[in-house]
Amino acid sequence: MKKLQRNSEIVWRIEKRRQQAVLDRLEAGEESGDEGTVILLISGMMHQLNLLGGMIWNLCDGQRNLDQLVAELQQEFDVDPATLQTDVREFVSDLVERGWLNYDQSTD
Amino acid sequence: MTNPLTEQFSAPLTFNWTLSYRCNFTCSHCYSREEQCDELSTAELKLIVDRLAEHQVPFINFGGGEPLIREDIFVLSDYARQQGLNVSMNSNGWLLDRTAAERIKASGFRSVGISIDSAEARLHDDFRNRPGSFERAVNALDELSAVGVRSTMSAVISRINYQHFHELLDLAREHKVSQVYLHNFKCSGRGFKNRQELDLSPQEWKDFYLEALQVKEETKDLLISFDDPVIASLPGYAEKSLVKGSSCGKLSLHLRPNGDITPCGFIPLVVGNILHDDFEEIWYNSPVLNKMRNKEAKGKCQGCGAYEDCLGGCTARAFATTGDLSEPDPHCWK
Repeated sequence: MKKLQRNSEIVWRIEKRRQQAVLDRLEAGEESGDEGTVILLISGMMHQLNLLGGMIWNLCDGQRNLDQLVAELQQEFDVDPATLQTDVREFVSDLVERGWLNYDQSTD
Repeated sequence: MTNPLTEQFSAPLTFNWTLSYRCNFTCSHCYSREEQCDELSTAELKLIVDRLAEHQVPFINFGGGEPLIREDIFVLSDYARQQGLNVSMNSNGWLLDRTAAERIKASGFRSVGISIDSAEARLHDDFRNRPGSFERAVNALDELSAVGVRSTMSAVISRINYQHFHELLDLAREHKVSQVYLHNFKCSGRGFKNRQELDLSPQEWKDFYLEALQVKEETKDLLISFDDPVIASLPGYAEKSLVKGSSCGKLSLHLRPNGDITPCGFIPLVVGNILHDDFEEIWYNSPVLNKMRNKEAKGKCQGCGAYEDCLGGCTARAFATTGDLSEPDPHCWK
């Protein structure tokens, strides 16, 4: 399966304080919310990814395929595996369509 | 995924970095020509790059003074690129020949901005107090284009060009410029001394922006950008900015040649030093930065319906003319 790679033209950053605040809320049993924990700067516009989106983005470094990515996330989130798989697939598909993520040509 | 938010980020997106106040020009509007400041060694500049990388500042933009006057600029830009920073520069173009353009290309600059204030050579040269500067600036654009570096053009809007910005856009097209910045006039340094002669009246600013925004709307082959928060008060203005009001202290900060940090190049209030102070303490807790982020309407801004969009306009202009960061922007036409 092809590995996922971020578009190298996109400038991005983890917003560490916000990410920690969201993780603290989750730890306390609260909703994580949609607060942006990763920002992407694309053509002068800024986009923000929530905690799950940000974690997916961070993992798309050309080292993992989709299944490996889901497996890593499964260790972080106590959620139904099928639901997680579907959510990640949809998110990745959206970002691939936008050109923000690519499938590396090399395979496992 | 969410829409752009306006809450505070963990660090600026851009550091505008004045490497030196030295310049080969003496422009009539220059904010920095009469500034004097110690300069840092190459090793110290690299330490600053390390700090910026550590705090995940994605962009640095070298300015000045004239940045190409620093002989180690490419050593620094190479190093910054290696640390993952995105590098750009604003130059007057005088020193930007083919050799420099090739070095810029090799160093991986995202873009280089060349200052051109008039499409008429005589007016540009007169404004910049340097005969031949127009020709050298235009040549710089051509050299950048020849080596494949994205170029932008910067013009400070003043009495010499506000009725002739169309010609500047044509000049940009002619020399393959991708983006034109029509900067607002700042009343700092020489710009403050010469403001009676160079600055527009509030009504003239309004008329200029109404026309320029219309041109921007109709222009498809060239990006046209403004950096003036006061335009958010124009009826029907719908462009989305990352933040409301001035971006200084919210999205960007400025570095002086000795590593001192100011909110922007036009506000001479030092909030700390990048090499000697804790950056997070400055970023989150500086009273000056927090005052700029949480401005309170004063004077005619009180009760104005546009305030929530423009937040009092350009903080640097307000400070330069009144000494108060929260006073209304003197360019405001309302």
